[in-house]
Amino acid sequence: MNYPFWDVPVGYGILMAAIAIVHVFISHFAIGGGLYLVVTEQWARKHHDQPTLEFLEKLGRFFVLVSLVAGALTGVGIWFIIGLLNPSATEALIHNFVWGWAIEWTFFVVEVSAALIYYCGWKTMTAAAHLTVGWIYFIAAWLSLVVINGIITFMLTPGQWLATGDFWDGFFNPTYWPSLVMRTGVCLMLAGLYALLVASRYEAGDFKARTVRDTATWGILGLVVTAVSQYWYWKTIPAAITTRAVQIMPTPMHALRYTVWLAVAIGALLGLCRLLARRLPVALAVVLMALGLAWFGSFESFRESVRKPYVITGYIYGNGVEVALTDRYAKEGYLKQIAYRSGDEGADLFRHSCRSCHTLDGYKPLRPAFDGTDKAFIAAIIRSAHLLRGNMPPFLGTGAEADKIADYLYQRIDRRPLDELCKLQGVDLGQRAYDLRCGKCHIVGGYGDKSKSFAGLSADDLGGMLDLAANLGKGMPDYTGGTTERAALIAYLRTLGKQVKK
Amino acid sequence: MNLPNYEFLSAPLWLVTTLHLLTLTLHFVAMNFMLGGVIIVLHAAILKRWGEPALLSFVRMFPGAMAATVTLGVAPLLFLQLVYPRQVYSAAIVSGWFWLIVIAAVIVAYYALYRASWKGEKTGKASKPALVLALAGVAYVSIVYSSVFSMSERPNLIHDLYARDQSGLVWNPAVGDYLLRWLHMILGAVTVGGFFVGMLGRNEPATYQTGKQFFVVGMVLASLAGMAYLLSLQPILAVFMQTPAIWALTVAVLLSLGSLHFFFKKNFCVSGTMLFVSMLGMVYARHTVRLLKLAGQFDPASWRVAPQWSPFLIFLICFVIALAVVAYMLRLYFSANKSPA
Repeated sequence: MNYPFWDVPVGYGILMAAIAIVHVFISHFAIGGGLYLVVTEQWARKHHDQPTLEFLEKLGRFFVLVSLVAGALTGVGIWFIIGLLNPSATEALIHNFVWGWAIEWTFFVVEVSAALIYYCGWKTMTAAAHLTVGWIYFIAAWLSLVVINGIITFMLTPGQWLATGDFWDGFFNPTYWPSLVMRTGVCLMLAGLYALLVASRYEAGDFKARTVRDTATWGILGLVVTAVSQYWYWKTIPAAITTRAVQIMPTPMHALRYTVWLAVAIGALLGLCRLLARRLPVALAVVLMALGLAWFGSFESFRESVRKPYVITGYIYGNGVEVALTDRYAKEGYLKQIAYRSGDEGADLFRHSCRSCHTLDGYKPLRPAFDGTDKAFIAAIIRSAHLLRGNMPPFLGTGAEADKIADYLYQRIDRRPLDELCKLQGVDLGQRAYDLRCGKCHIVGGYGDKSKSFAGLSADDLGGMLDLAANLGKGMPDYTGGTTERAALIAYLRTLGKQVKK
Repeated sequence: MNLPNYEFLSAPLWLVTTLHLLTLTLHFVAMNFMLGGVIIVLHAAILKRWGEPALLSFVRMFPGAMAATVTLGVAPLLFLQLVYPRQVYSAAIVSGWFWLIVIAAVIVAYYALYRASWKGEKTGKASKPALVLALAGVAYVSIVYSSVFSMSERPNLIHDLYARDQSGLVWNPAVGDYLLRWLHMILGAVTVGGFFVGMLGRNEPATYQTGKQFFVVGMVLASLAGMAYLLSLQPILAVFMQTPAIWALTVAVLLSLGSLHFFFKKNFCVSGTMLFVSMLGMVYARHTVRLLKLAGQFDPASWRVAPQWSPFLIFLICFVIALAVVAYMLRLYFSANKSPA
């Protein structure tokens, strides 16, 4: 809360993903591609294979254009965007890992220089000198992964660092090694996919057949390493995180499942590439690239969202609220800590508490989540944010501040009664009311399902239960809906009870 | 809760500042070569003052210069954010969209330089539209940097601007704070660009003459803009005059004049060294201005220092190895057997 809040209509998650996914996709290719180039060049020079050398030169131009420009600059872009979206966490990372980044920068300098010399030296350098530069490029590029991997994995599993604050404890954290092996596998896989794209543009023939088969093998090898180490990675994430993810976090779990299915699809298509090696169509190579991008998007989505409610696990919440300051927030409230104020306290509190993950209408919108409800209900939900499914950060401010956020939101939602708003009645209206007021914690047939407890209850019983809702469990809000909505909700709860009976 | 406190510097302030100023100067060398070079080459191309081969030999170098600019720009930004995070991020957030578009502008400029270079190789002619596009991109980046970093030195202004608008679409309205400094920097780039054009074109009279012209005229104009900027620092000027920075600035000016002298004698090694040290002096003076502007609101010396010597040592070793490896690769490249590999 030491910083202004960048209030943009685009969701923070989308902004982050737009830059980060492109970067990781290119930067991993930049590593694997470097290895592919130099190993293949070594083989081609040994066998005096001129067509392959010409192919590699073309690939090298593509490689320089993609990795040195888009790859390097989207990397800087990540730095820019995290500073805008979560400056506190970025500050914490820079203070703890500045020398990590500085070490990575030295590899970056070598990597960029080597890439340029490798590219410019195709025609002029001796074979031995050119290969030496190629190997230097690959080693420097991979070492930069070795370093940055420590900082990325730290954010999910800071491990002993939370107790010691020691650089190396944070760097060699529990997921460091599986992540490094997995990302190395991804590098190999992407090198295969990129090379396939270039090879697919060649005319059908022996050269194309051999090149496609070889590059597809790279892809398959990388995929196998990735798949095995991804499982290892999952197993090294502390059970407290994975258990909660399985229970109440649909986003990372969907993303994780997508990575598995996408890996299967990529593997199958790489196999198909080997079969169609002589006549590999460009479209198939493009589809493979798209699947590779989707795989990476899904994995990064998993990695980013499984950390919830934190941006640095156990240290800073996703909304920039610092765990270490919990007592101060409780004592003094949030407002005192917000350094940059807009003059609207409700808006400032909303920005620093909710806006990092939610917009009003766009990304993870709050307006539809509260349309037709009331101020008291919204305030109760804010106070119990950490109990809702989705694994949200707790609201650590004062009760009065929760009311201010509720008021801010209430002024911006549709305040008509729910029946008038959604033009429903009876059980249908009750189901809508249930989704709005109860579904944030209780999914029928899923997490927090309480349907069984309604079995055999009369309308009066259920009405009495609603009257005492706040006493039914920790964080439960009072029922504050109107009478029509209340009757409809009771009717719906009765249908749930009857279903259980059957 | 007893969690680690991140509000610390992981090396003494003097060490971080030294690294910051040194890497920033290196970044300026590459940036000036690229920006100044593009301006001079465009000027020569439009006026048809050089032959196409001479133009193209420079255009071919620009993508590499851009790569060096970006690469060498990463380190000073890192050290700046380490010491002044609250100032820099806050200003960047207030101008968030302008700040973020910097990345797109650099990508466009970078690709434009590659396009100019490759088109030149293919057609034997320098692509003026591509060079103009690259210039526009780099000019955008430079003015945004000047605007945001100037704003970062005025915390009260950040508060006021943020209170008015939280959308990240706020441009620093205190133009007087940075316009002259930006102009000084652009003219400085032209000056250094002139030096490089003269040095690399020393065997071609027309090219050398153009370089010399830009070196001299650029230096005069950059000095005037720099002087005007210095005078515009009115509230802190008197204090600035009492800091070591004024001596650094004086030495820098003298070294710049000395570099001209050796440039005329075509002793580019001495001239270039003097120019580099002169730039280092100016970067130090700029650093002092930042400290004076922030005085009373933030003092970098107030950071708690908790050194992380082992990763620092690794950085130092890697840095030395990186320099040696780059030098080795350049030697391989330039001493290569010219027959096709």
